[in-house]
Amino acid sequence: MVNEITGWSQMKSLKLSRLLVAGLFFLLVVILFTAHIIAEWFSIISVGQGIIGGRLDIPVTVMIYICDVFAITAVAALNKLLSNISKDEVFIEQNTLCLRIISWCCVMAGLTFTVFSLWRYEFLFAAFFAMFLGLVMRVLKNVFEKAVELKSENDFTI
Amino acid sequence: MAIIVNLDVMMAKRKISSNELAEKVGITAANLSILKTGKAKAVRFSTLDKICEVLECQPGDILEYEHE
Repeated sequence: MVNEITGWSQMKSLKLSRLLVAGLFFLLVVILFTAHIIAEWFSIISVGQGIIGGRLDIPVTVMIYICDVFAITAVAALNKLLSNISKDEVFIEQNTLCLRIISWCCVMAGLTFTVFSLWRYEFLFAAFFAMFLGLVMRVLKNVFEKAVELKSENDFTI
Repeated sequence: MAIIVNLDVMMAKRKISSNELAEKVGITAANLSILKTGKAKAVRFSTLDKICEVLECQPGDILEYEHE
């Protein structure tokens, strides 16, 4: 279906989303292999404070590794979700599971940021946003769960 | 579920096949199978009306309530 105002079709939009997800996956893989460089760069420019002092590059490297694993898992779930949508399978159990995985990944990343805010308080902002996104995804998952139930009821109404 | 669908019994009495009934009622054979096997979660009044009309019976002849 083509939007009359933008001329942008649903299929094109889906393709763009999948392209962006693939791009994000590539970026996350790059981050995984350059975590120590990013951590070193961060420890040089960081001027914040935390409860624990000392070297910052090792904790930040560990934090990037942990959060990157959660991010890659969430992106894989996002890819599966988009793949199902492109097959016209929207309100199915698997999509609810994907949203659940994404939600938990956000929450776990938020908790990781909270732990590493012992080194720098600014990580608390990242923790807040990750937790907030996790909550939004959780509500979305609840909506999907109900939609799956309603669709099943509709499908089995003769 | 406590509601039992006795469509098979009524169909046998009227000597009508599944495909014929599905065609006369205006539903797919797959949906009729869902109804017959008791997998259906709801039945529209319009469907029930048509089934009763084709099978010349009452809704009570098709549907039965049983204590679980």
